[in-house]
Amino acid sequence: MKIKVCMGSNCTLLGAMNLLDQIEDLKGILESNDEKYNDEKLEIEPVTCMGYCKKMGTGISPVVMLDGDIIFNATGQIVMEKIMDKKIKD
Amino acid sequence: MKESYVDLVNIRRKVFALIAKMAYEDADLNELEKASYDLIPGEIATYRESIFRERAIIEERLRLTMGLDARHMNEFTRVTDGIDEINVNEIKINLPLVNVITFACEACPTRAFQVTDNCRKCLAHPCTNVCPVNAVSIGKDRAIIDKEKCIKCGKCKEACPYSAIVEFHRPCAFVCGVNAIESDYLGRAKINEEKCVSCGRCVIQCPYGAIADKSQIYQVVKGLKNKENMYAIIAPSFIGQFGVLASPIQIVEGIKQLGFKDVVEVSLGADITTLHEAKEFIEKVPEEMPFMGTSCCNSWALMVEKMFPEQYEYISDSSSPMVETAKYIKKKDPDAIITFIGPCISKKLEALREDVKDYVQFVLTFEELMGIFVAKDIELSEIEVDKEIQDASTLGRGYAVAGGVAEAVKKTAQLLDPLREINVECASDLHDCVRLMRLAKAGKKNNYLLEGMACPGGCIAGPGTLASADRVKKSVMEFKNQSVYKNPLENDIIDDELRH
Repeated sequence: MKIKVCMGSNCTLLGAMNLLDQIEDLKGILESNDEKYNDEKLEIEPVTCMGYCKKMGTGISPVVMLDGDIIFNATGQIVMEKIMDKKIKD
Repeated sequence: MKESYVDLVNIRRKVFALIAKMAYEDADLNELEKASYDLIPGEIATYRESIFRERAIIEERLRLTMGLDARHMNEFTRVTDGIDEINVNEIKINLPLVNVITFACEACPTRAFQVTDNCRKCLAHPCTNVCPVNAVSIGKDRAIIDKEKCIKCGKCKEACPYSAIVEFHRPCAFVCGVNAIESDYLGRAKINEEKCVSCGRCVIQCPYGAIADKSQIYQVVKGLKNKENMYAIIAPSFIGQFGVLASPIQIVEGIKQLGFKDVVEVSLGADITTLHEAKEFIEKVPEEMPFMGTSCCNSWALMVEKMFPEQYEYISDSSSPMVETAKYIKKKDPDAIITFIGPCISKKLEALREDVKDYVQFVLTFEELMGIFVAKDIELSEIEVDKEIQDASTLGRGYAVAGGVAEAVKKTAQLLDPLREINVECASDLHDCVRLMRLAKAGKKNNYLLEGMACPGGCIAGPGTLASADRVKKSVMEFKNQSVYKNPLENDIIDDELRH
């Protein structure tokens, strides 16, 4: 699972680093309970401005990309839930 | 705590970016009258019970960010009233610096003990048995605490086997280390200016965002547009604050792109402060002073001045790193206009002091600077630059983290006088600072070097930061080790005379 967290200026202003902290914490929680979840690895990558806010205007930051799916106005709540959905064992 | 207040943090920062943008675009300041509609669009409230109230609070934030005073709700005041005095680029902050937005305050109850649903009305009911004033009785559904009788000792809470009794705090008052939060006639928070040391903890801890400080964002941006000789000095905790991909040199270059002539690390001033304090300690302790307190944290020094006036003379009279760095620049360019950028709200107050105001004209927090970067469309992590900054020693750069100041002074003093033994004690958090000073006053810290910092963990946890303290701590450690000078004595930017 590939998670890109935008570190552009707009996203940083509106909490991208807090999102990154939360996702990294979640990775820790998942790894310490690994028997409960599938073994898909979390790859977390902070990236430079993905450019969405420049094209679409303000009101969409912070931006996170989860396996190619774009999440606007990302919050820890939304992103962590989506990650957890992908980690649930079938 | 603060990072998880996502909505509040974002509202505050959006206001910073908006004010910076207005300054860059030379916007008509009458636009401020309707700015709250841009920040809170639509007809439906998101955060509170009414969108009108949300907008009124945003308007207050706009005013404070412009440097205007908070309004009173019992008289008619436009958002822009008083703006003419503010719309000049050299205005100083009008006190008070830290303000309660009265109509954002929810008048939270003061500290109390409360019985929750967890209570099972158990047979043993130790809560009633341990109460020294017979304030706890067993009611119909659960234990009841008689608020009139309760002396808030907490014994019932400790005794309950179901964790059914909780201690309830008013968040602003709880974090205030100097008991400066009182109540007004409606039970809303009111800051006692006599006691407040502007540490800013209440600003970031209030869960309703009802406390805010004033800023100089507008005045700094106007200055950058109109003046050639603006300099920025940046506090040691700047590393990693502006996104995890922005390197220290990219941050420095980004600040220059805003129009600053040059950027200097305040860690250089930290090296100078270290040299002064090390010499002062060797010379004066214990003959002239029983112990010596460090001088760099303004809130700590203010706390000592207000609460321990007799011991205030034992705080080092060295200038803070902010002031030393500014003096260094002023020596080279006497017309320099200097902006301190840091994690700190208290520095805004320090810059108003008689002996400081000629050196430091403006103070911005990292959060405020981030708002300016956004307004100016600067992407720090995309700036190409292959220089490095080497203004300061490893020890100077360590000032950002609790313990770092004392470590620098101790190591430097021992280099100057190898036989000297130095005891050190550090407090980081105003409550701890007060405790430490009580011990010192009682004579229990004689011969000690006392380091006081108002923020828990040091400047890296200041109220004006963006990144979590843990993250910044790691980055500061890395940056310290990149310095070419190990200690201030090796730092050849500093006058030879001071280094011997």
